[in-house]
Amino acid sequence: MAALWAVSGLRPRPGPASPWSLPPPPRPAKSSLWCSRTESELRVLDMAASAVATAASKGNGGGGGRSGPSEGSSARKKKFPGPLATAYLVIYNVVMTAGWLVIAVGLVRAYLAKGSYHSLYYSIEKPLKFFQTGALLEILHCAIGIVPSSVVLTSFQVMSRVFLIWAVTHSVKEVQTEDSVLLFVTAWTITEIIRYSFYTFSLLNHLPYLIKWARYTLFIVLYPMGVSGELLTIYAALPFVRQAGLYSISLPNKYNFSFDYYAFLILIMISYIPLFPQLYFHMIHQRRKVLSHTEEHKKFE
Amino acid sequence: MRWRFWMPRQGKSCVFWTRTPRGDVPALPLQVEPQATIAEIKNLFTKTHPQWYPARQSLRLDPKGKSLKDEDILQKLPVGTTATLYFRDLGAQISWVTVFLTEYAGPLFIYLLFYFRVPFLYGHKYDFTSSRHSVVHLACICHSFHYVKRLLETLFVHRFSHGTMPLRNIFKNCTYYWGFAAWMAYYINHPLYTPPTYGAQQVKLALAIFVICQLGNFSIHMALRDLRPAGSKTRKIPYPTKNPFTWLFLLVSCPNYTYEVGSWIGFAIMTQCLPVALFSLVGFTQMTIWAKGKHRSYLKEFRDYPPLRMPIVPFLL
Repeated sequence: MAALWAVSGLRPRPGPASPWSLPPPPRPAKSSLWCSRTESELRVLDMAASAVATAASKGNGGGGGRSGPSEGSSARKKKFPGPLATAYLVIYNVVMTAGWLVIAVGLVRAYLAKGSYHSLYYSIEKPLKFFQTGALLEILHCAIGIVPSSVVLTSFQVMSRVFLIWAVTHSVKEVQTEDSVLLFVTAWTITEIIRYSFYTFSLLNHLPYLIKWARYTLFIVLYPMGVSGELLTIYAALPFVRQAGLYSISLPNKYNFSFDYYAFLILIMISYIPLFPQLYFHMIHQRRKVLSHTEEHKKFE
Repeated sequence: MRWRFWMPRQGKSCVFWTRTPRGDVPALPLQVEPQATIAEIKNLFTKTHPQWYPARQSLRLDPKGKSLKDEDILQKLPVGTTATLYFRDLGAQISWVTVFLTEYAGPLFIYLLFYFRVPFLYGHKYDFTSSRHSVVHLACICHSFHYVKRLLETLFVHRFSHGTMPLRNIFKNCTYYWGFAAWMAYYINHPLYTPPTYGAQQVKLALAIFVICQLGNFSIHMALRDLRPAGSKTRKIPYPTKNPFTWLFLLVSCPNYTYEVGSWIGFAIMTQCLPVALFSLVGFTQMTIWAKGKHRSYLKEFRDYPPLRMPIVPFLL
């Protein structure tokens, strides 16, 4: 160690070499790239996590990168959207929150009116389709850059939801009376209400801890719930797809192509097996980071 | 783990720091001359840290900046009396040649499996039978020729700037090439294959397109090779040569990609097979991204770059 000091031309100090006995290396100003890189990695993983799953509360963690752990320290390298874009995004998120609230209220009212929880899908079919399909705008937001997330991952996430709504539930009428539909719709509804309000508050820089907590905690129940609902619905749709030969094309034909929707659905179901655990545990990990981060920040404030 | 390299005033040695959760901790110093190249520093670093062989190391002056080249000399870098170099581990590496050979040998072999209707691919009664359509045999010849050409070019023609790429790329690339090859081959060699609607005319036209584009692609590869002497990494603006196929350089930065897309379009027309068209589309998308990147770096590097050129499609893209 003495050689070290000699070589560096600095006075040797007694005691074990500690980080403080040598002049600290010139750090890049603030938020050492370590932090911001980890954060941006977290963001990407977060998006990956949310995008790849088709489950309900992927929304919970999904787009976590979009507004980030919201105690946005100015040190973060994130580019903030301009005031017009912010205004638009706030309106978008408020509208979406309202929309999913409408769906939630619709479910409750229908339940109270019917007295049972079967076949509630029909009472919220239209707003569900409208607002979930409206989420396609989020892909556009990423593409034009007002939301700092990856276009590919966001597309994946939104398309998977839209796929379940249109290509499974809408297309196979017989599954609309299944209880599994209610399962995933409920999970999605709660998740999306929290998620969109989270974004709204983040954009306005006034995020109540409760929303943040809810977003990073409720997924523990909602995510498996949503995944179960989705899988059961797809499984229920299978025999009807097979029977009707839905969306399938077989040889021979002019374009030498074939597609078996039944096999495709089975592949989708299988893909949940590697994806779900990864995403779920990533979310748990995120939760630990984000919620303990907040506590630290609170200490310093 | 990130490291920082310090060069004190004398400029004759490097002090290494390692960042740990407890903060910066000094590590073993290395003696380095100011005239040392980055390659030599990398080699020295490998001696003390054998798990990070030079190909895995990325050294840079700025954590977000570009990697320093192996040929750069320490003294000539824009550093003051104290230099800070940042190290990043690029992960396990594999050589480009290995990757290329593997990813091209796969489709060659896989297509032939389907062509000869090896058991378990189609129904049992079709095992080892042969298609009665001549276009299927022609398609096999074209596809196989294409990949043999690629293999030979990898071995004898291409001059790579980088020796290695991250290891995970081989899995990604092989999945892409082998997967698509199997998918296409399955339909083209299927017993229920339907030959092109316009018959021999369509096949002849497609074959012409295919052959022209293959020759073009090869000519471009040769022209690019001639730009760069063996073992060097020089970069120059490519220009048309006497070979008419290279005249596409007048309009396009990456005519090799243009010809490649053209070949696959020809193959798609020849076989009239939707998976082939989809493969061409995906390939076109990827090559467009590469071409745009290459075009941009040409523009940045060379002030006198010909303005008429587009990245991949003349006048359009």
